[in-house]
Amino acid sequence: MKIQKAVITAAGRNQRHLPLQTLVDREGYPRSALNLLIEEITSTGIQDIGIVIAPGDKPLFQESVDVSNAKLTFIEQESPNGYGHAIHCAKQFVEGEPFLLMVSDHLYVSDSDDSCATQLVKTAEALNSSVSAVQATHEGKLTDFGAVGGSLSSEGKNLYAIDKILEKPTPTQAEQEIMVPGLRTGHYLCFFGMHILTPRIFDILETLLEDKDARPSLSDALEVLAKQEQYLASVIQGRRYDLEDRYGMLTAQMALALDGRNREEVLTQLVGLLAESKPR
Amino acid sequence: MSQLITIITSHDKTVRDTPLDEAIQDLSFDELIAECDKLDEFRRTQESLYEKVRALFFLYALHRFHLPKHYSPTEAGLLSFAANDLILNRRFEEGIDLFLEEQKEVGWNDTLSSALAYAYYHLALQYLANQVRRSVRSVKGNQWMFRMGHSSSHPLRVRKELLTRTDESEPYPIIHETTPVRMDLTHSGWSDIFFLGMDLPEAARVLNVSVNLAVWGRDETPLPPVECYFRVIDKPVIRLISLDLKTGTDVTSLEELFNFGMDYLGLVKAAIIAAGMVPPGIEGSGQSLESVLEALLGPGKGFELVSHVRDIPKGSRLAVSTNLLACLISACMRATGQTQSLDGALEEQDRRIVAARAILGEWLGGSGGGWQDSGGVWPGIKTIFGELATESDPEHQISRGCLLPRHHLLNDQITDDTIQKLQDSLILVHGGMAQNVGPILEMVTEKYLLRSNDEWEGRALAIELFDQIVDCLKSGDIKQLAKLTTQNFFEPIQTIIPWATTFYTEQLIEKIEDKFGDKFWGFVMLGGMSGGGMGFFVDPSIKQEALPEIHAIMQSTKKDLEKSLPFAMDPVVYEFRINPNGTFGEFLKGEEALLPPVYYKQVIPNLVKEDIKDLSSDRLAELQQFTRNCDSNAQFQKEIPGFFKQLLPDTESKTEISGNLDQLLEENGFDTIQHETIRQQLQSGRIGLSQNRFPPTATIEDVEHEDVYDGRIPVDGATRYTGEQAIKNGEVAVVSLAAGVGSRWTEGAGVVKGLHPFCKLGGRHRSFIETHLAKSRKVGKTHGTYPLHVITSSYLTHAPIQDYLDRVDNYGYEGSVYVSKGKYIGLRMIPTERDLRFAWEEVTEQVLDERAQKMKESVRDALASWARNTGEGSDYRDNLPLQCLHPVGHWYEVPTLLRNGTLHAMLQERPQLKYLMLHNIDTLGANIDPSFLGIHIQSGKDFSFEVITRRYEDRGGGLARINGSPRLVEGLCLPSEEEEYKLSYYNSMTTWISIDRLLELFELEKTDLDNEALVAEKIRFVANRMPTYITIKEVKKRWGHAQEDIFPVSQFEKLWGDMTAFQGAESGFIVVPRNRGQQLKAQAQLDGWLRDGSADYLDSICDWP
Repeated sequence: MKIQKAVITAAGRNQRHLPLQTLVDREGYPRSALNLLIEEITSTGIQDIGIVIAPGDKPLFQESVDVSNAKLTFIEQESPNGYGHAIHCAKQFVEGEPFLLMVSDHLYVSDSDDSCATQLVKTAEALNSSVSAVQATHEGKLTDFGAVGGSLSSEGKNLYAIDKILEKPTPTQAEQEIMVPGLRTGHYLCFFGMHILTPRIFDILETLLEDKDARPSLSDALEVLAKQEQYLASVIQGRRYDLEDRYGMLTAQMALALDGRNREEVLTQLVGLLAESKPR
Repeated sequence: MSQLITIITSHDKTVRDTPLDEAIQDLSFDELIAECDKLDEFRRTQESLYEKVRALFFLYALHRFHLPKHYSPTEAGLLSFAANDLILNRRFEEGIDLFLEEQKEVGWNDTLSSALAYAYYHLALQYLANQVRRSVRSVKGNQWMFRMGHSSSHPLRVRKELLTRTDESEPYPIIHETTPVRMDLTHSGWSDIFFLGMDLPEAARVLNVSVNLAVWGRDETPLPPVECYFRVIDKPVIRLISLDLKTGTDVTSLEELFNFGMDYLGLVKAAIIAAGMVPPGIEGSGQSLESVLEALLGPGKGFELVSHVRDIPKGSRLAVSTNLLACLISACMRATGQTQSLDGALEEQDRRIVAARAILGEWLGGSGGGWQDSGGVWPGIKTIFGELATESDPEHQISRGCLLPRHHLLNDQITDDTIQKLQDSLILVHGGMAQNVGPILEMVTEKYLLRSNDEWEGRALAIELFDQIVDCLKSGDIKQLAKLTTQNFFEPIQTIIPWATTFYTEQLIEKIEDKFGDKFWGFVMLGGMSGGGMGFFVDPSIKQEALPEIHAIMQSTKKDLEKSLPFAMDPVVYEFRINPNGTFGEFLKGEEALLPPVYYKQVIPNLVKEDIKDLSSDRLAELQQFTRNCDSNAQFQKEIPGFFKQLLPDTESKTEISGNLDQLLEENGFDTIQHETIRQQLQSGRIGLSQNRFPPTATIEDVEHEDVYDGRIPVDGATRYTGEQAIKNGEVAVVSLAAGVGSRWTEGAGVVKGLHPFCKLGGRHRSFIETHLAKSRKVGKTHGTYPLHVITSSYLTHAPIQDYLDRVDNYGYEGSVYVSKGKYIGLRMIPTERDLRFAWEEVTEQVLDERAQKMKESVRDALASWARNTGEGSDYRDNLPLQCLHPVGHWYEVPTLLRNGTLHAMLQERPQLKYLMLHNIDTLGANIDPSFLGIHIQSGKDFSFEVITRRYEDRGGGLARINGSPRLVEGLCLPSEEEEYKLSYYNSMTTWISIDRLLELFELEKTDLDNEALVAEKIRFVANRMPTYITIKEVKKRWGHAQEDIFPVSQFEKLWGDMTAFQGAESGFIVVPRNRGQQLKAQAQLDGWLRDGSADYLDSICDWP
């Protein structure tokens, strides 16, 4: 399996401004979040990137991109019919190839030499399988993510065979259905915002979308996928930052800055800020 | 290898089920002690819950029932205060170690065995309770709630649908949850107690039916008896409203939410916590409730939870409170997306987690039911079976079974026709009795582990009957089913626990059978005990006619027995329908999002007081909707007069109650001057609980050998002959003290204890008075002269005792029976906070299990504030008049005999009368024994008081040398509780009195006894020289539908034992055998009393008519 295409979904009516926000990158230059995301993808060697956007957003998105080594295709989701539908919009672009799917409201910092996306792509290519990146997440955050249950896979380290997927479960449900052996108490494998999927996902989404009233989520489609082909979860050596959180942008910025060349300067400022601040 | 350990650890079922009694029947004392040593060592090292607990119960039984038979009557000892203190503080392990160390120094004795029995028993129960708790916490789906300690990590959110309203003129949507209650047709020998299900899941089986109810004659159609409403509000508080308890509050802090005893809303609070909305892990975290609510609902928002039990009385044995808890939990779980659907019935997986959360809620609230109680969550008829723990269960390798049983719906196997037939035949009732079934459940656990032959066979039969009952339902044979449930009640249930039946229940069955003949098909007992919720099967052709008849029979039987048995309410008859849904949710929005009229009736008086400008937009929108409904909705229209009545409550009934009380006081010779003096002294702190005590300078020592006569050793022939002659000559009479209302026996309910049919003896239920007369009959038959028998009474007990004795012709007693009417009365007072604190903090008492203790403490804070706010030392009038009055101590009972002419009449009948034997109503073994009478006569003393050697449970004073002189002391007089542990003997209260000397002490002649004024004056003179004690008693106040509150009240007393220190009186003390002197104070003692040979002893000294 060779992954040559990536899809970013950025059509969510409430979140589409997030990738356009400006942050200071690791080198100290102001860049849009979208640029950082595209760089995460290109670090894997993928250059062909489709971005699913809301109608009329293309100029805004085009304007905010300054990356030269990527070929961007903008795909409009005509009507807001849910996340599953947004992914399905990229069917033509993907052209029957396995692809990397990324959300547009996350930024990543890797804890290994490879970027987070590279780790995932390498795993999927080696195993010739659909793989979702996951991270052990505290149950207090379950309301924000899809989560998976399964058992350790014999295929390799930090790999799990998925047998259950729940979209934003309550801990009551999570504890009963997706407890994974070996994780810390109260932690579950939650999606990391990036997946390698085979084109079979589009067939599944098509079937799910046949019901006109349905707004299938990606989790709904993945639940079916897991029954039809090998589908694994890979724990990534890295961290994700959800820009949608209350202080998500701030936290992501701090993480980037502390991972970059101006770490010392930022740390000095942080310490000063901590020393000066007074509780109200 | 120990024989008993082999039984415990054997894999062979027949060996494991060997009854303890059988296993040890041939063992000598030394062999029994060796078994005890090995068992004690074994239980310390065992990991298996079952083996540990069974070893503890074996140890308990050996010390309670078997070793005492080997001690000689004179083998008794003292207990150490330090060990006892450890036991009271639930440090059972350390207490046992200390007792065992003491044993090495002093050897084995009856007293030590009684203490060890108590400690082993309670340690076993503690292990069981802890295990249930651990299992509840480890149920998957519950664990996270104990980890969450900060609002920022709250993982639940209230569903968006509940937070959305189209505009501000619309109230927030509502979840309305309705839940049936459960009826258990098979009972299955209490096999739904957790331990049984977790140890022997194969035997844990019940047939559980979800039912809707209507009170016959009041309601139109049967409805789910419990319901609740959940909605979001624009205020960051949790608003709790109980429509049946007519109370509500806005909870603003976590401390308030976790305080279950401060109001009547403990159950609703427990539901919110168990549902995970405010998870238990956050208790004591220092977080604010507002921050938790913000995480759940967003800033500035809170929620309202309204609970409603549709006027179904407590004690229905239909698990109303557990199903209400489940109903509330379901609604809260729906609201936070923890169930798969927002409305409709629940999925199986959701039902199971609701049931597990209901168990958690009960634990939080310090109560506990069986595992089948949340059966109302499931639809229709189902069997519930215990389930073996597998590797994936948290119980694996801890217990054989899982905490949660498995429900199997029988919908497909029972036809609609059978359901109809069941509904047409069975008449459900609430008999009206109020009972605490807690002790029964402990007995079941104990008997299960000891495997006594009878009980074990009973359990086997119950299991057999279970299968037959289920088959009857499948084949539609309701008549046969009724026959089987009746057999179940009379055979296995009563074999396992004889106390499951009551005199009342048996009377009802008898009368209903007489009335309907073969159209009466059978009886079914529901839940832990009969007398409350029960059922009668009749031929469907007469059901409509039977409803009023059964109601009338229950009413009249209750009327006959209401003075002798604790009733909480008038009996009711229900109509029921089997509920096909289980718990069921409705999502109400827009115009439908309104609470029922009864809600508005309750909240309107407060709402009208608020300025309209201060009302939040959701409240305003709701009120506008309410007003529109009053115009157009018939259900609301008919309630309009009720809304007005609520705004202008009437005060008539209160005046009426107060009028009755004043009249009663006047009729019973209430002494206003004395009352005011006591009040002033109480308020100023001159008298009170702490002042009851002797000064610390008093020397308190155990009595010397020569201070007592050891009556445990057979007396010589001459002494006995003296006694026999006196009986024969008619020189002695019995005085049974029956002024009391069995406060401890009925936990404050107030019945005439003397008339209470406490136990089956000689083949049927007998009251205390009947038993005492049966002893006098035996004495009369043996010696040829029937002694005169006096029953003393009080304002509370006189009329019922006199009426009852007239009705039953003194139980056929051949001698004369006198009822001596009490002449003294007191009015209870609100206690001072100082006395309450003293009673709760200075007096050592058994610390309860963690949650129950927490609940008790929070109730106590509420009671202290009640006392402060109501007025310390003011009259207690806010209850039924008879609950406001109190008898003024048993000292007055003897002088009353003098004053009311009873003694005069007795002397007229028998001028040769010289002696009285005075005894407490619950000293069942006391009789006119010629040996003890002989000892008294030969001693020449004025009074001879009988004392017994002490056992662990005998607390509250004893025989002591105070400043060098032997006398009886009450526990409340001792300067420190440690003193009591020095005293070898406990007061049985039985007193032999020489009449001539008694009269001399009162400076009276026999000829003065017809002059009441003179006698009264002399009594007042002596009374002034007797000490007055302030005591705190608990009194029940009933309200609503069989709801009960218990209030502490102050009253004063003068005590008979103080005659031993009366100047000029010469008292002797006789040590009597335990069987003769022990008292039966609480119902929980009955089972041990029956099994340790005491009941057989009593039977041997009685002659039943």
